[in-house]
Amino acid sequence: MVVRRDDPEAAYQQIARQIRSHVAAGNLPPGSVLPGVRTLASDLGVNLNTVARAYRLLEEQGFVRIHDRSGAEVVAPPRRADREAASELGVELSGLLARMRQAGLTPDEIRGLVERGIETLAARDGREA
Amino acid sequence: MELLLLWVVVGIEALVTATLFIILPRIARRGLLFGVYVGEVRWESDEARRITRGWYAGMVLGLVAGAALAFAVALVYPGSPAGPFVSLFALVALYPFLYLRAHLQARRMAEPGAPDVMAAPLVPETPASLEWPAFAIVVGVVGGGLAIGHAALNYEALPARVPTHFGFSGAPDAWSPRSFWTVLLLPIGTLIMGVSLGVVAALTARAKRAIRRQDKGVSVEAQMRFRSAMTRFLSGVAILTTVMMALLSVGAVEVALGRAERLPPLFMALTGVLLVYALGGSLYLALRYGQGGARLERRAEAAPLTDGLADNRRWVLGLFYVNRDDPSIFVEKRFGLGYTINFGNPRAIALLLVFLALIAAFTVAGVVSSR
Repeated sequence: MVVRRDDPEAAYQQIARQIRSHVAAGNLPPGSVLPGVRTLASDLGVNLNTVARAYRLLEEQGFVRIHDRSGAEVVAPPRRADREAASELGVELSGLLARMRQAGLTPDEIRGLVERGIETLAARDGREA
Repeated sequence: MELLLLWVVVGIEALVTATLFIILPRIARRGLLFGVYVGEVRWESDEARRITRGWYAGMVLGLVAGAALAFAVALVYPGSPAGPFVSLFALVALYPFLYLRAHLQARRMAEPGAPDVMAAPLVPETPASLEWPAFAIVVGVVGGGLAIGHAALNYEALPARVPTHFGFSGAPDAWSPRSFWTVLLLPIGTLIMGVSLGVVAALTARAKRAIRRQDKGVSVEAQMRFRSAMTRFLSGVAILTTVMMALLSVGAVEVALGRAERLPPLFMALTGVLLVYALGGSLYLALRYGQGGARLERRAEAAPLTDGLADNRRWVLGLFYVNRDDPSIFVEKRFGLGYTINFGNPRAIALLLVFLALIAAFTVAGVVSSR
């Protein structure tokens, strides 16, 4: 994992985003344990709070569960989505789709990207099942 | 005879020290030139080679000049033990000058600013084993405790004057009036020294990792191997030191009580063992592993070093690492063998202050008690 200094995206968001994509790609299957906050902060040379904030964000988004002792553990997605969470994510998705369209992507290109993303997730779920 | 032995011992010490100094550029991590991160490509340039040759020449010259000076001192003051030490002092005194010259030259080759990426492996950590440091700390507590107990139990029976210095043969050659400090300085010192060295070994086991980007974990693996070897080595130094100091402490009390004429031969033998172990071990670690495992990662592709060790702005003179954001306490040195502290971390500063305070307290107590 790398954190780019010149990236306008905040360091904690870069960390959270990369962990999310590793989870999505199946590199971090449910049950895997993330490096300790201190270790990751030491490796990256960033503040403890930066890593802790990234882990908290991931916990809020339901990617990890933070244990007091053993650190952060990747959790499997729940069998059924929470209604409230689903509607919030729906709003986020339409926002993202609007941005993609605004960035010049055609509806077909957008559909292609979404389908590829879903295929990756399905492949991961197939491996983990 | 004693003087001849001194010449041989100090002569070997000077030679090993010179060898260690001379090879320092060759054990450094790829990309690090005299405490400056110049990048992996420039590290192999002609300019880098020229700077390194300057270091070799200076060191060889220092070794020859030191030896000549030592013989000159011996001719002027025959019988003085100062002669052999002159060569060693000459080397140690020369080191900062040669380093600073090479460092300033290397700095001109460095790119300004910070490296643009910081990297970390996203795998659960496998914490380094703390068995050896823990054992060293236990030995420190037990050895120091026994020495303190032995001195305290015999305190009342001690004569008015106790030996405070011993010659080469192990027979005492200086005495001081009996006092709390003249008797208990050494045993308390044994406890503190043994435990502190064990703690340093433990901190070494958990030091900051230097990470190269896209090297498939070769750099992390290499330095984990170096670190565990270094931890075992330092734990060994701690254990030997505790045993040696405890023997000295108990031996001194026994001599004072008149139960023995000189220090136990085992103590004299251990002093030699410790010297050989410390110097030989450093040399072995340097040649076998290189600083931070640099010699093990050489075979890896020249992946760039990231943050920490690569960020020139965080290093003052290439010697002091100052990074307030970094929670690390121990950090790999950029030049030389071993670790240094993160001067930007208040916990590391506190640790350093405790060590300095202990050394100062013992120096003062030693000076006061010998009056």
